[in-house]
Amino acid sequence: MNGSLERQLDSIFRDIQTDVADDGRLRVRATAESVLSVLKFLKDAGCDYLQLVSCVDWVEQDQLEIVYVLSRYIREGEQPGDDQTRVVLTTLVPRGAPSLPTSIGVFPIAEPYEREIHELFGVRFEGHPRLTPLFLEREYDIPPFRKDFDTRQYVEDLFGAVPPVGEES
Amino acid sequence: MGMVGNFSITLTVEGDRIVKAVANPGYLHRGFEKLMELRSWIKNFPMVCRMNVVEPDSMEMIYSMGVEKLAGIEVPERAQFIRSIYLELARVGSHLFGLWAYANMLGFDTVAQWAMYHRDLVLDLFEELTGGRVYHIYIWPGGVRRDFPDGFEDRIVSTLHSIGGCVPDYDNTFFNNRLFYERAKGIGTVTREDAVAMGGTGQVLRATGMEYDIRKVDPYAAYDRVPWDVHTRTDGDAYSRIWVVRDEMIESVHMIFKLLDAMPKGDVYNRIPNPFKWRVPEGDAYVRCESSRGELGLYIVSDGGDSPYRAHFRTPSYPHGLTVLEKALVGESIADVGNIMISLYVVAPEIDR
Repeated sequence: MNGSLERQLDSIFRDIQTDVADDGRLRVRATAESVLSVLKFLKDAGCDYLQLVSCVDWVEQDQLEIVYVLSRYIREGEQPGDDQTRVVLTTLVPRGAPSLPTSIGVFPIAEPYEREIHELFGVRFEGHPRLTPLFLEREYDIPPFRKDFDTRQYVEDLFGAVPPVGEES
Repeated sequence: MGMVGNFSITLTVEGDRIVKAVANPGYLHRGFEKLMELRSWIKNFPMVCRMNVVEPDSMEMIYSMGVEKLAGIEVPERAQFIRSIYLELARVGSHLFGLWAYANMLGFDTVAQWAMYHRDLVLDLFEELTGGRVYHIYIWPGGVRRDFPDGFEDRIVSTLHSIGGCVPDYDNTFFNNRLFYERAKGIGTVTREDAVAMGGTGQVLRATGMEYDIRKVDPYAAYDRVPWDVHTRTDGDAYSRIWVVRDEMIESVHMIFKLLDAMPKGDVYNRIPNPFKWRVPEGDAYVRCESSRGELGLYIVSDGGDSPYRAHFRTPSYPHGLTVLEKALVGESIADVGNIMISLYVVAPEIDR
């Protein structure tokens, strides 16, 4: 299933890279412009289960990588384990102005994941109806899960002191 | 909302009916995923289990699976069986906890206390095996920390027999009780289409009739070595979800007996490199397992260093407690909010991490 998905994707999309990993998982690297179309294609091809939308901060490359993990629910007449569709779709956006279209129209479950990524990494999802904070209560200059957010400096700024580590107290 | 952890829901109501529900997570956000990036691979084990207070063992398992996949570590056969038995005991304990919460919410205090007592018996087993009642730190990369003590298998069997012997009491007092039926039938219905659109797994999905269980879909540990059944219902309401929980608990008990019979002798762990200097090879992986709430997944990234570059836990309560809950509450009565929330089997610390 992953092999035939790979062939279909390669024949339709020009600006993606695909490969099937050793564990059988199909990996697709798309541009920010094409990622929503690829998601729609995968949904129509049967990947109706968006398991996770995640974000990785590649600070040295000055990029944020948005990761979509997809698979497929069981259809009538299938047994659990029959279908082995597993896809990981990734795209890169610049750290300076990270922005992607929202996938809520394709997968309603993307709503809280995108909201969390916006709060913790600063990625704007255009068209998202509720990009308000999900977990946190105050404003941060640097989104807290980015690699250049200094946790010790944050504690010192907020509480005025950092607890001693490894010293006699 | 103490029973599922600190969580709040803002309701817009017309009289007694809910017009709109907004979930407010964040009371338990500890930033674990960021903290994990600052600690070495092995030092993260005491942290990951604290993400799900009710069933920490599946968190240890999923983190271990992720690290093993990245580092290419095999687990010996006996350890796979021990892991399965350990995880099924955790599932029984977690379902008893959920039964405590749900029965309490409906006012069946006696049944709730029975469930908590029986969970205590399971925690005694964990304490004997690992030294800790709730947080065990027993699974680690390459296997489990130590083998079962002498006679432990007999104690597992006798504990489960004493819990199982009370199933008729539970059924007569709670599961077959007309009051439970009246309070839960048709309440908080989640249709199959909604569950599929909103990333539902676990009881939320199995109560709509789909036999989606990661232990069958993507077998791990020793789940494909013994025969067992996935339990489903068809109505998708709170009544169905709690019945699925009951059936799964009983199936777990039977599964533990079968696993104990089939368990081979052998090593319980394969050596890993010096954990304090361990650099896991570069790469990324998504692994998943079936926790007592649904699909628990981990997207883990290593840059070849001595700590995770990124670890993102896909917890089952995340879609259930945020998107599914907000939809399921619309049109329901205020009196049923707790009922629906707990029947969706949400654990708030998992949402916030």
